[in-house]
Amino acid sequence: MLSFIIKRLISGLTVLFFISIITFFVLRWMPGDPATLSLGTEGTPEKIAELQEVMGLNLPWYQQYYHWIQDLFSGDWGSSYVFGEDVMTLIIQRLPVTLLLAAVSMVIVIPFAFIIGIMSALFKERWVDYIARSLMQLGDAVPQFWLALIFLVFFASKLGWFPVAGYVGFDDGILASIHSVLLPAIVLAIGQVGPLIRIIRSSMLSSLEQDYMLMTQVNGLPKTLAIVKYALRGASIAPLTIIGMQLANMLAGAILVENIFALPGIGRLLLMTVEQRDLILLQGMVIFVTSAVVLVNILTDICYRLANPMIRFGGNHE
Amino acid sequence: MKRFKFIFSVLLVSIILVACGSSTDEEGSANENSNLDSTEQKEESNTVNIEKTELNMALSVDPDGLDPHRTTAASTFQITSNIFDTLVTVTPDGEIDKDLAESWAISDDGLTITFELREGVVFHNGREMTADDVKYSFERLKDEESPRSGDYANIAEINVIDHKTIEFVTDSLNVELLSNFAYPWAAIVPEEAAEDLRNHPIGTGPFKFEEWVPQQQLVLTKHTEHYDPASLETVNFKMMPDVTSQVSALQAGELDIIAVNGDLVGQFEGNPDYTILENRSNSIQLMAINTEHEALADQRVRQAINLAVDKQALIDTVWWGYGEEIGSHYPTMLKEYIDTNSVLSYNTDQAKALLEEAGYRDGLELDMYLPASYPAYVDAGQIIANELDAIGIKVNIEIVEWATWLSDVYTDRQYDLTVVGHTGRLDPYDLLARYHSENGENYFNYSNQRVDEILTLVQEEQDDAKRLDLYQELQKILAEDVPALYIQSPITLTVTASDVAGYTSYPIDIYQMKDVYFTNP
Repeated sequence: MLSFIIKRLISGLTVLFFISIITFFVLRWMPGDPATLSLGTEGTPEKIAELQEVMGLNLPWYQQYYHWIQDLFSGDWGSSYVFGEDVMTLIIQRLPVTLLLAAVSMVIVIPFAFIIGIMSALFKERWVDYIARSLMQLGDAVPQFWLALIFLVFFASKLGWFPVAGYVGFDDGILASIHSVLLPAIVLAIGQVGPLIRIIRSSMLSSLEQDYMLMTQVNGLPKTLAIVKYALRGASIAPLTIIGMQLANMLAGAILVENIFALPGIGRLLLMTVEQRDLILLQGMVIFVTSAVVLVNILTDICYRLANPMIRFGGNHE
Repeated sequence: MKRFKFIFSVLLVSIILVACGSSTDEEGSANENSNLDSTEQKEESNTVNIEKTELNMALSVDPDGLDPHRTTAASTFQITSNIFDTLVTVTPDGEIDKDLAESWAISDDGLTITFELREGVVFHNGREMTADDVKYSFERLKDEESPRSGDYANIAEINVIDHKTIEFVTDSLNVELLSNFAYPWAAIVPEEAAEDLRNHPIGTGPFKFEEWVPQQQLVLTKHTEHYDPASLETVNFKMMPDVTSQVSALQAGELDIIAVNGDLVGQFEGNPDYTILENRSNSIQLMAINTEHEALADQRVRQAINLAVDKQALIDTVWWGYGEEIGSHYPTMLKEYIDTNSVLSYNTDQAKALLEEAGYRDGLELDMYLPASYPAYVDAGQIIANELDAIGIKVNIEIVEWATWLSDVYTDRQYDLTVVGHTGRLDPYDLLARYHSENGENYFNYSNQRVDEILTLVQEEQDDAKRLDLYQELQKILAEDVPALYIQSPITLTVTASDVAGYTSYPIDIYQMKDVYFTNP
């Protein structure tokens, strides 16, 4: 078991190492550097060179990379060119906002998608199904940025149900915090709900056609019980996989809604770092996010193994 | 396609905004407050509301740190001008006025300037400001980490005479020397706080720094010991990248001041709940021409380009008419400005004839680079390209990111045409120096002997009238020689809640919150 964990850790670190190299080079190949951007239309080649020296951008690439990695291992993630703030502080500041946004959004998406999906499977080719499918199409077709603006103007500005912009921290109470991300979470949810309904509907349909459903009828089980206990259980596996993938999609959606609703989340920070070539912060964020994914993967593998000894990873030499 | 989507969405949103807008349009008298004649904003008999002292203002971007000596970003100075004071300051009319210096004297040879400092000025940390702080601040502004060091290299010696008197000795004559002490980057900072000014600025200004949560908000509170105390207790700058959100937040009462573009101002017109401020700005927008390009090196081709563009139509289309047409590199608000619009006015027949004369009868192909972060410049570039097509110049447009634009177009000068804006300065020399053939910021690759000569002469000429003549001659040369197609001097639009008073705009890009107050309802 221990050797398995070590092996997984080593492969995880290898992934991180390659990611760090790729990130580092892609960022340095991009035209424009932080010194040029900072000087803007006041820049002359001499001034730019001077500032690059101050920022340490004039060093050869391997030295820059070495310094960065060295600092990273000693726990120093560096500081942002734009904000002057510690990279870790910024990430930790932003993470709760995006996580809350994604969580609230998921809490809206999942029940809604399951109810609509199941209903439209049960009433296939009937009016409930038609309405559900039309709504699904609509949700897919409406551009999120447009929807975000409409919602903002109508629900926040006109009706005043939600704050127009800004995030309320947990210090002011969890409910106030949720309220401040609710409208953007709904926008995010609308963009995510379509594919999920479709998956639930189709897996429910195939589940309903299984032989064991016929069996429940033969055994005289009440229809509702049969659906909940057998059909639904069989139909849940595919949607759960999709939900996992959608969480990743949400980060992309978060960039958009966080900008429109002025939420200080990871998505908005990421956009700024790219635009402003805040290389140190951007590198840090990429490493942070990939480390999180790698770590979760390792933990999942370990959990699987603990839960089910039948699963053997990487062959049978153990 | 992307552009189309954008325009479409803007249209849709504006239709909805109009539909949702309040129905008070008919009753309200237009509440516009135009500052175009540089008359002071009328301070009506409204009394100061002493209950309401917290103001919320939207900003589209975060400042590039809060250390005024370590950046060139306008977004920084807009805020730091409230936290720091300078020796002298500039009035809304562009006159130099006293600030931390109570008086000053310039020696007869024009090389030495002596300032008498104000008594009893204290930093936000409670320590008294003295001449040593002034000396330290200018040394810091001159050191190599400072992006402005070149602008102050002329200062050879800084001598502290006594704790309230300081003398600056310059190497060579600079007739506009005083304006160098008025810019927001010439801020006076305390040495003990210098290490962390970027995130925790300490100055002598009317507002103290309280908190900055990047991409969320920046809070300033009143510095009660300031010599001219502010009316407001708290100013919250809210970072909101999206303009529609800003408009919505103003309408919902979450904000008191926003800056808008011409497309969004319409919904506030005639609504008594808001005040619209129109201000000329010390900046210009132009289409730069790379004069090293084989065809563009020919003055006739450049003139043809100028003649082919209907500038007024361009301003009306892209900026909703909020801008003043210009014929040369000079903002209309500055006193040296002369009208050069008639030198080359819109005439496509003449344009075609000139192009033919220059040997481009069969047309010409040029590359235009447009910075994606400035949608207005992208729109303007596309319209210009269309107009050039009509006289036989085919323009290939490439839209690039701002960082790419800065490195490839601006620094490396790899372009034929590009649309961009320039902010003005108080000193006309700083504004025009980039046309000198040897100047590092001369991305036009422009070279004209007389222009070089004028730029040398004006630095030595102490006679105001003669200097004015030289600057105006220079404007005329640029208008005729067309190193760039000069488009407009923009008019900035600010919308405030109707109980906000005292918000004025300045010829340098700052937000002066000290004089802002709320009126009684």
